[in-house]
Amino acid sequence: MAHGEFAVEAVGLGKAYRMYGSPLKRIVEGLSFGKFRGHHEFWALRGVGFQLRPGTAMGLCGANGAGKSTLLKILAGTTMPTEGRFRLGGKVASLLELGAGFHLEFTGRANIFMNGIMMGFSRREIEAKIDEIIEFAELGDYIDEPVRTYSSGMGLRLGFSVAVAVDPEILIVDEVFAVGDMYFQKKCIDKIYDFKRRNKTILFCSHSLYDIRQLCDEAIWLDHGECKALGDSVEVTNEYTAFQRSHIGETDEFLVDQFPTHSATKASARDPKRLPSITDARIYRMGTDEEVYEVESGDSIELRIWWRNPDPESTPINLGMGFLRQDTTTCAGTGTHFSDVKLDGTEGCTILRMPDLKLLSGQFLVPVLLLDDGGVHKYQEYLLPENLVVRSKTRDVGMFRFDHEWVPSDLEPPRQELPESGGREREVEGAER
Amino acid sequence: METPSTPVSPPSPSSPGESLPDEGWVTAHPPRAREVFGRVLGFPRMLVEHRDLIQTSVKRELQARFTGTALGWFWPLLHPLFLFAVYYFIFSKLLQVKFGELPPEQQQAFAVFMFVGVVVFSAFAEALNRGTNCIVENGNLIKKLAFPSEVLPLNVALVGMVTMVFGILIFVLAAFATPVWMPPGPKLVWIPLLMLLQLVFTYGILLFVSSLQVFLRDTLQVITVLVTVWMFATPIFWAPELIPNYEVELAPYMPYIKANPMFHLVYAYRDVLMSAEPHQVFNHHMPTSVGIFALWAFGVFLGGYAFFALCQRRFADEV
Repeated sequence: MAHGEFAVEAVGLGKAYRMYGSPLKRIVEGLSFGKFRGHHEFWALRGVGFQLRPGTAMGLCGANGAGKSTLLKILAGTTMPTEGRFRLGGKVASLLELGAGFHLEFTGRANIFMNGIMMGFSRREIEAKIDEIIEFAELGDYIDEPVRTYSSGMGLRLGFSVAVAVDPEILIVDEVFAVGDMYFQKKCIDKIYDFKRRNKTILFCSHSLYDIRQLCDEAIWLDHGECKALGDSVEVTNEYTAFQRSHIGETDEFLVDQFPTHSATKASARDPKRLPSITDARIYRMGTDEEVYEVESGDSIELRIWWRNPDPESTPINLGMGFLRQDTTTCAGTGTHFSDVKLDGTEGCTILRMPDLKLLSGQFLVPVLLLDDGGVHKYQEYLLPENLVVRSKTRDVGMFRFDHEWVPSDLEPPRQELPESGGREREVEGAER
Repeated sequence: METPSTPVSPPSPSSPGESLPDEGWVTAHPPRAREVFGRVLGFPRMLVEHRDLIQTSVKRELQARFTGTALGWFWPLLHPLFLFAVYYFIFSKLLQVKFGELPPEQQQAFAVFMFVGVVVFSAFAEALNRGTNCIVENGNLIKKLAFPSEVLPLNVALVGMVTMVFGILIFVLAAFATPVWMPPGPKLVWIPLLMLLQLVFTYGILLFVSSLQVFLRDTLQVITVLVTVWMFATPIFWAPELIPNYEVELAPYMPYIKANPMFHLVYAYRDVLMSAEPHQVFNHHMPTSVGIFALWAFGVFLGGYAFFALCQRRFADEV
């Protein structure tokens, strides 16, 4: 590493954008050598400082316009800070926008070259890596078609594949997982895990607190350009959600952030005070008031969810929850709409009883979801104060222990009479697995 | 500034403000003279480091211009060919413009004189007209990718040179293959030097105007007008030599005419391409012109690059 022990070091970073009322004011200001001030400043970021050791992932959270992208742009080197300073201990690759610089008339393959060269590769390096890039992008024969014919998701795959091929020491990612299909999202996340394993540093910004918790060790919460909280990702995201809860409906901008896809057709959507919300959710040992987040396989626990719904007439709600493993695999999940449970009234507490927990050892994220009446739209994703840690005494493998019993027997093997070939095929399949 | 909890140790106390060494730090202060100077000195290294980027983008630009057309790469050859045919017909056949006393095989001297001037100047003019906006146009790249943006004006200048090479090539081939004009002599070896100087000059101006355009969008309008004025101020469509006894008649204007760097460049090209001894179409001392233009070229380049280096850090915010 080039400088000291940190991969990223930032001190008092700030960025001001100059707003000129008219181009004429700019000329006057330029000619008067700054004696006449024709602009006013807008501080997109101010006084942000942190240090990251190699191998750390840091997530940025905050409302729209909080300065997340500005911070990433400064660190990526596309814009300069107005005050403060930073230094980076290694090669940086940034994905501020996937496919930036793609030329639509050229083929995917030609664009890999051009994009890679823009990112600082030499032609020879790309030639060495092009097969790997094409394989990762999984575009098949489309790789030799003009990029103009690509769907947005395909362009995204190509962009991500080139960027990760750079194999930087520091990877800067600005909210690019928001698009792309589930399969590719998973692939991206795996790739980022792989980066972490190889002691690379990752900075990324996301509106999904879940992603931040999962992928990052540390997090920074920006609000109106200032650093509100910095530290352990679980703590920071919790602080952020707590803030969101206490400020619900404070500003319109916040509302957009909190309910990004809420349909505006419902009257209550415009009135934040009338939107449903989860006010609290915790896990207890079943039947007791003992709050637990470290349990053993086979324990009985319950999830208590306190919710509010000021306008049950126009916004009927459902609750959902799930157990997610670190790599985003959903191990199990359920919802009130699957069990035809109605949540009536303007507020209440609903308890999900889980006797004899079958999860095997591991750490699980437990998102609690506030859903609409069909269980389709997500009003809110609530994060539990801690991840659920399950320990297991048995040596079973996998995600959960299923009910089972091993029984000795002396039954004859069944005679295969009619479709002999069919049976064989099944055998072969089994053997491969 | 509030940082409630720090994940690792707080900033080392031995870093009091701006006075610490710059080692590896990217800071907010505008580039100092020393740094700008360093950038200018480091220019050749930048070229080497990013040669693939430059090569690819020039290729891309040329491809984008000609792919999809039926004649493809014949177009840059056809352009000067038609241009010359038109000049020849109008000025040598219809108007019969002539330079003083010339042998019969040099009657078309003025058409050739104009042709060379147009080919050279239009490469320069085209680069300026296209290139003034090159930083603004590529704003999306500048905002999203960290790459040396000085390659953008360089690409424009290089593409302009490539089209000019075709014009010169056509002329030289025609001179050897047809009786249009005498084949140029060994002076042709000057061509690479002239082109390099022209590239440096064009690039220097582009560095300046393209960064100015970022802050002041009126620049492009000014440049468009200026290029036209410049073209007529340079002997392209006219020649002082057309006026009998011009050295006396035009004496009060000559210093101004010669103060124009493009005058020297255009005449140097003409000298190389047109003068085959023993016939001299015009009287001109080429090495002097080359020397003067070289001074201009490097002066403009140094000034332009320094200005660019000063402005560059603000591009992403302004485009």
